[in-house]
Formats: sequence, structure tokens, C-alpha cells
Amino acid sequence: MVFDEAFDVIVVGGGHAGCEAASASARLGAQTALVTLNLDLIGQMSCNPAIGGIAKGHLVREIDALGGVMGRVADRAGIQFRLLNRSRGPAVQSPRAQADRALYRKEMRRVLECTENLHLRQGMVVDLLADKEKILGVEMQDGRRVAAAAVVIAAGTFLNGLVHTGRRTYTAGRAGEPASIELAESLKRLGFPVGRLKTGTPPRLDGRTIDWSAFQPQEADARPVPFSFSTDEIEQPQIKCFVGYTTPALHNTIRKNLSQSPLYSGQIKGIGPRYCPSIEDKVVKFADRERHQLFLEPEGHDTNEVYLNGFSTSLPAGLQQDLLRMIPGLEEARIIRPGYAIEYDYVDPRQLGPDLQCKKIAGLFHAGQVNGTTGYEEAACQGLLAGINAAATVSGGPPFRLKREESYIGVLVDDLIKQGVDEPYRIFTSRAEHRLSLRHDNADERLRGYGRNLGLVGDGDWERFNQRQDHIAAAKHALKTIRFKKCDAAYAMAVETVGSELGESISLEELARRPGVSTGIIQRLFHFSHNVPITTSELEAALADNLYAGYIRAQDLVIQRLRHHDAIRIPANLDFRSLDGLSHEMVERLERMRPQTFGEARTIPGLTAAALSALYVVARLQT
Amino acid sequence: MDTIVAVATSPGRSAIGIIRLSGPQALEILRSLVQDQVFTPEPNRIVLRQIRRESGEPLDSALVSYFAAPRSFTGEEMVELSCHGSPIILRRVLDLTQSLGARLAEPGEFTLRACRNGKMNLSQAEAIRDLVNAQSDAAVAQAARQLKGELSAALQPAKEKLIEIVVKLESALEFVEDDLPRIQVEQIKIDLVQVIGMVEALAATFATGRALREGVKVTIVGRPNVGKSSVFNRLAGLDRAIVTEIAGTTRDSISQSMILGGIPISLTDTAGIRIANDKIEEIGIERTHQAMADADLLVVVVDGSTKLSAEDLAIISEAMRARHVVALNKCDLVFEPSVVAQLSQASKVVHVSALTGEGLEDLTAAILSPFGAVDSETVGLLVTDSRHFDLLRRTSASLADSVKSLSQSASEEIVLVGLHSALQFLGEITGETTSDEILGKIFSTFCIGK
Repeated sequence: MVFDEAFDVIVVGGGHAGCEAASASARLGAQTALVTLNLDLIGQMSCNPAIGGIAKGHLVREIDALGGVMGRVADRAGIQFRLLNRSRGPAVQSPRAQADRALYRKEMRRVLECTENLHLRQGMVVDLLADKEKILGVEMQDGRRVAAAAVVIAAGTFLNGLVHTGRRTYTAGRAGEPASIELAESLKRLGFPVGRLKTGTPPRLDGRTIDWSAFQPQEADARPVPFSFSTDEIEQPQIKCFVGYTTPALHNTIRKNLSQSPLYSGQIKGIGPRYCPSIEDKVVKFADRERHQLFLEPEGHDTNEVYLNGFSTSLPAGLQQDLLRMIPGLEEARIIRPGYAIEYDYVDPRQLGPDLQCKKIAGLFHAGQVNGTTGYEEAACQGLLAGINAAATVSGGPPFRLKREESYIGVLVDDLIKQGVDEPYRIFTSRAEHRLSLRHDNADERLRGYGRNLGLVGDGDWERFNQRQDHIAAAKHALKTIRFKKCDAAYAMAVETVGSELGESISLEELARRPGVSTGIIQRLFHFSHNVPITTSELEAALADNLYAGYIRAQDLVIQRLRHHDAIRIPANLDFRSLDGLSHEMVERLERMRPQTFGEARTIPGLTAAALSALYVVARLQT
Repeated sequence: MDTIVAVATSPGRSAIGIIRLSGPQALEILRSLVQDQVFTPEPNRIVLRQIRRESGEPLDSALVSYFAAPRSFTGEEMVELSCHGSPIILRRVLDLTQSLGARLAEPGEFTLRACRNGKMNLSQAEAIRDLVNAQSDAAVAQAARQLKGELSAALQPAKEKLIEIVVKLESALEFVEDDLPRIQVEQIKIDLVQVIGMVEALAATFATGRALREGVKVTIVGRPNVGKSSVFNRLAGLDRAIVTEIAGTTRDSISQSMILGGIPISLTDTAGIRIANDKIEEIGIERTHQAMADADLLVVVVDGSTKLSAEDLAIISEAMRARHVVALNKCDLVFEPSVVAQLSQASKVVHVSALTGEGLEDLTAAILSPFGAVDSETVGLLVTDSRHFDLLRRTSASLADSVKSLSQSASEEIVLVGLHSALQFLGEITGETTSDEILGKIFSTFCIGK
């Protein structure tokens, strides 16, 4: 085959997965091409202009710890930072930021432009060139053939994308951009199991037509917590968002017009995410609710566009405008871009290994929505992993994978490749059985070392990390050793702040475990008796370990117990069809997964207790 | 898969002995046994056939039933042969089936195959084991209930309540920006305490359940000549122990199995405890101490008509360390007032007369009371398996941790540690709850989606 150009790695798509993949691969020394339909839309946030949130913020922290770019870019483009769940424990706190959409694109483009070994190419990939079980390169729409030892597909919603507004449908990757139809067909030709998913987006409004006084303002944090471990200060001026509500009259109008909704007319076949329902879904499925919450999120400093969060819809554009007028404060509002639903192809992620490489075609990696996930953060972390591993296939390095017990990324990948998806997959903290240990504050402790060993963490960041770890270790030691006795001056201060007796003497660590004792109190007492330089963030990390230690131990015991039988081997020649207790679908899944141990079988979803016990008996009987 | 064979009836001589075959070759082996290669019995029907040795010589005439897969106990092809119950004949038939390709089954293998073929789950299999080993009607009833999955069903409301609470707490954590109802901490505490009550109540039935399953060892002790053997005979309802007026008549421990109030009881009469007069009595007394240590409950027999001796007091104080009842015997005579006064503070005392039978019902009730009343099959569900008991206790302890965390206003993720552990433990009885199920429940309960 003759090629016009050759690289080590080609990344198809310039969204959040593609950017991380290309950046990581290039920085690991692979000559990397990022091929995208429109170079001006690199790092585009197709939907909500926000990064992070519960569990998603954890992912951004982990990406940053490994040496990815999302955290840094978000820190430079964030215009409303809020640490969510501030009133709850550190394990479930998570940073979130509204971003300036244009600024985010600009920053991401800048980061990629100044990455050595990274080559941006505009164009549409229409075919994957493979020789039986090995990827060779890609073919572009203009006929160019580009060779590569590894290809990362990060095509987002573009694969066979079909936009719906009311009864109108048209092919598109996003509103206003062409769909990638040939590439989707190429994947099918290669024999990949392809399914259909759906997602949606709300209308964007003209901020000048909104009566802002009708909404409650929502302020940014006074002290913004950045995503990146390398960021000291958030420099963007911070803005307000606003909260409002729908009305019963609006709900009635939607109900009357359901026949115009492609979701309810049967026109949309793909499955949408249950945690991100359209306004039609909310009104129908939760009919008893008088109102639904809406967020007005300005899209940036230099635009009038406002994102109407909570109002995702595929109703006809004209009807969208009518509905908005029923919202107090939006009586005069004008739509700049209507909301729409989009259906797209995804490839069953169970055909991937833990390195996100396709089992049947060496050198081909899938990352992001093509694997059935939703969300920028979910896409970015897969892109990072795929980029690292694509570079590794070129350099001959070992594959890089992450475990469930050490990272949310590990949880996400493990869920994807073992269980597949029934709806667009989003990360949640409840998906992580080791939730108390996988915190945003210790993402660096968990993963920085990997990033450094891979070569993605520079000297400056590494130095910074070690310093932070030293401070945390010193703080932990101090928490144990600082004790207040009744005769100490600080004791009286502690009693006063806590508001109850503390016994003969109490260590700072014991004090911190008392309910209602805030980090602020500990910090004051800490500095009162100890002259170590320590930041709030470092103290928080030290305290979090202290707070959860007992619970983590208890939880580990339960998990161990659950896994007690996991080592039992399942005979390789076992015919699952001979197990009557299993449903047809389960037999199919078992056959596809071919679990080698009882533990692997246990994680296959939908297996009933009876079916598992049947399998357990067979395994025990035959070994 | 090979074909297994075993004698299904208990060993020893009996009128009928049943041999069971299970596996793909079962029918083929049957054809060879009856030496009729086209023999095609109708499933689930009984027919009479001659079983012949390889030489053609008749071995036994047997009632033959064939069960076609999957509609059989194991879910496989099965054959049952009701032969004559001579151990020799059964042995020969067994040998013959083995020479035709069957393998002798491991203990419990028929049930395991039934499990594997989805005919029952593990806890049902455990119930079958209990059913086979049941020693009383009430035990049979309990095993039958478990076989129907009643324990799992009884725990379902507790599990559902826990999932409901988990859903509330998890969604409060995951969807902070959504417009969700406020967490009602006090209500959750009340609900949790109620679930703990449910789980504890089930766990508390284990004392009775175990008594039903494993039986209870009741041992009668006392100094010589207080009427232990008479009490024994009264309880056992027969004159088994030799009763004389000579102190030390009972030289060795003797035991009798019986059913009292539905509970299988192994009642043991022992040699009276005193300074032994000869070697035989010394050994007997040693055995008494042994029996005391093994017993689930001691019945200390005391002669109420005379003052307590040092020996009485020594025995009572030894019995105090275990579960015990004092039978104040000879209530047909006038009681020595000091005895009644001395004993009434220390122990549970029942007045009996082994001679007249007076007070025997009270004694029976006192013996049974620690194991619960299980007079008939109408009692509620009992936990009979120590694994289930352990899981219920762990569930309850985990939930208690959660209640404590709630009381300390701990953050939801800490409260959830105990709740998830509890679901895990319950899951070993009722089936696992996955995080996907919980998420699904969240999305159907609350309108999520900023």
C-alpha cells in the first residue's frame, strides 16, 4: 500500500479524548498526527460548558496526576469554580468549574500547538486500513493515505450522527458539523459490534433577552479550588450562574405536544442517559413534580450566549421558543441555537482490553463516546490511557492499565470492558467500591508516580509533588504527636471551639475525628502549637486519611470476604448452556467473557444469586 | 458429564432398598441391567423388571422408574431401582452398574448436580440436607420452609428498606446540584432501627433453630440417691435406668433420644457425684464430669426433703457455669425449708416428684424454654444454619454502625459504609445488590439531571 504521509500514531478526533490521546502520545516520543474535521473546534465543549462535578472532578484530578492536560486547561479557562459537597466528607467532595467555551478551545489548541512531535491535520478519516489483525493507517476523504503503527478512534458523537429536532432529522456530528458516516461503516466492515445511543442538548439563549432578576444567583467559591496539582491561582475573573424553575403550564404544553417529540414518537431508537433526561422525559416520568430546576450558565466572558442547563430537548425549535416564554424571567428570551437530540454509533467496549486496544486489531484503540461513555472527563481519561498505550505499542513498552482499587479511571475502564453499556456510561462515586480511598485530594499520591515513570510528569511538577507529600507526611506525624493536656493553654481553646469536655488529654488526630470539628479549627490549633509550613490543601489530605482509616479497614474486610471464593477456577471447557439456571442472555455473556475464575464471573452483571451459586457449585465440583 | 450411582436408602437390612442413577448413561445402564436393549420406559411410571447378572442369571426383581432430563431431581437423566433391601443384593446391583460405566457418587453429589442444573439454589440445597437429617417433625417443617426460600423471602422487606435508604443517601451525595428532597435523618434512623429489629428477631430464632436441627444434649446430674434415674425415666417415659435405693446404683452414663416439644433431645443420666467407693464408680463419676461439660443444659436433681449437703452445693456451683435447671425432687414429701430458701436466689428451680410425676410438665417446660417453644409446625420461620445466623449478626452490627454514624451527624459516605456492608451480608442469603441496581433505582425514584 502506498501512503502519502506516515506517523507513529494517528488520533482521529480533536475532542476531549482526542486531545489527551494526541498530547500524551506525542510527549511520550511518538510522532503523532491529530486528524480532525475542523482545527478551529479543537477541544470544543459540545454540550454543557463545564468541567468536573461529583466523580467527574475526581477523573480530572487523576488525569492531571498522570500528566494529562485537561486540568490545566480548565484552570485557565474556568470562570466559575465551585467545590461540590463542601459540607460532606473529603471523599465525595469534587471540584467543578464553568468554563469559557471559546477560551477553553483556545487554550487547548495552544497547548497542543506547542507540543513537540504533535502534528495537527484537518480532514475527515473515511476508512481504517488494516491488514487482517493489524492496523496500518487511515484513508482521508480527499484520498490521502496516512500510515501509522497505532490509531486512536476518538470520534465522539460523529459516527453516523443523526440530529433530531421535532420530526426533522439530518445527519450531523454536532449541529452545524458533518457526520462521519464512512468511518462508521468502516468499523462495521471490520466486524465490530456496533450499537446506537442518544444524547441531547438544551437551547442556548441570548443573555440580553433574559430578565436576570427573576432568578436566584449562584456565586463562585470565594477561594477557588483548582483542578490541577500544578495550578497555584485561578486567574480568570469569576462569574455568577443563576437558578430558576419550570412551571406547571409549561409541563402541560409539553404533554400536549408529545407527539412532536421524536423521543416519544418512536423516531429515536438509541438509548439516552437516564441521569441526563430531556425536559420531555422529566415531565412524563415525574408527572407529580410541579417544577423542575433550571440553571442559566453564561458561556463565556465575551459572548451573550447562555446555556439553559436542565432543559435538554428534541422538540421542534419553534415549540422550544414557546415553552421558554412560560418560564418566569424568560418571557422575552430569544433562542440563539435550539436544543436537539443526536443519535450516534458506538462500538461495544467489551471488545477492548484494559489498555483500550481492540482485541481483534492490534494497534487500534477506542476512546470516549465510541465506547459508549458520556462526558468530557470520561472521554478525556480514556483518551489519555489510549494515547499512552498507543505510544507504548510503537516504542514496544509495556501496556499501561489502572486498577479499580487505585483510581476512578480504573473503575470506568473495568466497567466498560467487563460489563459493556446499556446506556451512555457516566462515572459516579457509587461505582467505586473503594470510594473512601479514591479521593480528589490524594489523586496525586495514587497516580503521580505512574505519570512520572511513563514520562508525562516533568521535573518541576515532580518536585512539587514530592514537597507536598513531605508536608502531608509531616502533618500526619504532627496530628498524632500533638497532644493537649488539661493544663495546656491550647486545651482551653480546643474545648471552647468544640464546645464539650475532651478528657484528660487529646491528640489533634483524635480531636479531628470528632463530629463537627472543621479543618479550620484543626488548622488554628495546628499552627498554635506547631510551626510547620503547611497549606490547607495539604492539611485536608492528611486529615482525610485520618478520618477514613477505620472505615477503610472495615470496608476492605467486607470486600475481601466477598472475594473469598474469587480464586476458584472455572473449567475452561465448561458448557454454560448446560446450566439451566442461567438465562439465554447470561449464557451469551458468559460465553463471550469466558470467566476463568468465580471472581470474574461474579462481576458479570445481571447474574442471579441462584445462577451464581450454580456456577460456584460446578467450579467447586470440578476442581 | 459422567453418570453417578448410589444407594439412596439408609444402610442395613430393610424391605426395600433404592438405587439411584443420574447422568446421560442412566437409561443405557438400565437397559443393560434388564438385558433389553430396546427397553424404553415411560418417564415417571413404575414398572417391574428382572435385573440380571452379565451371565443372564436373575439377580433381583425390581420396580424401575425412569425420569427424563430435565424433569428430574438432578435435572439429568435419572433411573431409580427399588430392589429388595438386602445389603448383599444392593451391593451386587451397585457393582453391576459400576461395571456398566457408572461411578459411585460422592456424598451430596445428587444435590450438587441439582444445584448446578438450576433445579435449586445453594440455600435450598442446604435445606435438603437438613430435611434428610431432620430428627423431628418440627425440624422437617423448618427445612421444608427453607427449601421454599422462605428465609430469603422473609429478608426481602429488610433488604428493600435498606436499598431505599441507600438510594436516598447515595443520591444526596451524587446529585448535589439537583433539586432533591432533603434527607430526613431522624426517619432514616427510625427505619434502620426497625430493620435491625427485624434482622435481630430472625437471628434470635437461631437458638431454637439450631436446637431443632442439631438436637439438644440434656444431662441429669446430682449427688447419689437423689432420684436422678427416676427423673430420667419419667422424662424418657420408660423404665430404662435401673432404680434402687442403693446409692450409686447408676455406675455409667446412659442416654436416650426423645422428642420433647418438637425438639430432638438426647437425655443422659449420669452416675451420682461423690467420693467414689470403687474403681468402676470412679470412672463413672469421671464420665459424669465429661457429660456435664458436653451438655447444652444440665438438670441438677436435688433431694428437697433433706438439707443440702456439701456435695449438692459443689455440683450446683459447677452447674451454675452452664445453662441449667434445678429439679427439687421428692416434692411429695415435706420440703426442708432451708433448701428452698438457699436455692431460690441462685437458680431456676422446679419442684418435682419423680415418684408421682408431679411437676414433670414444669420441668419439661423449663428444659425447653432456652430453646424456644416449638410445639408444632405452626411456629414462625427459624434460622437453622449457623452461616445464616452469622450473616444476620454481621448485618445487624453493620447497621448499628450506620445508626451511630447518623447520630454523630457523619457525612453520608461514612453512614453508607455500614449500609453497603449490610447489603453485602444480606446478599449472601438473598442475592447480591449491584451498584448498577442502586443507580437504576435512583433514576427511577428521583428526577436527576441538571
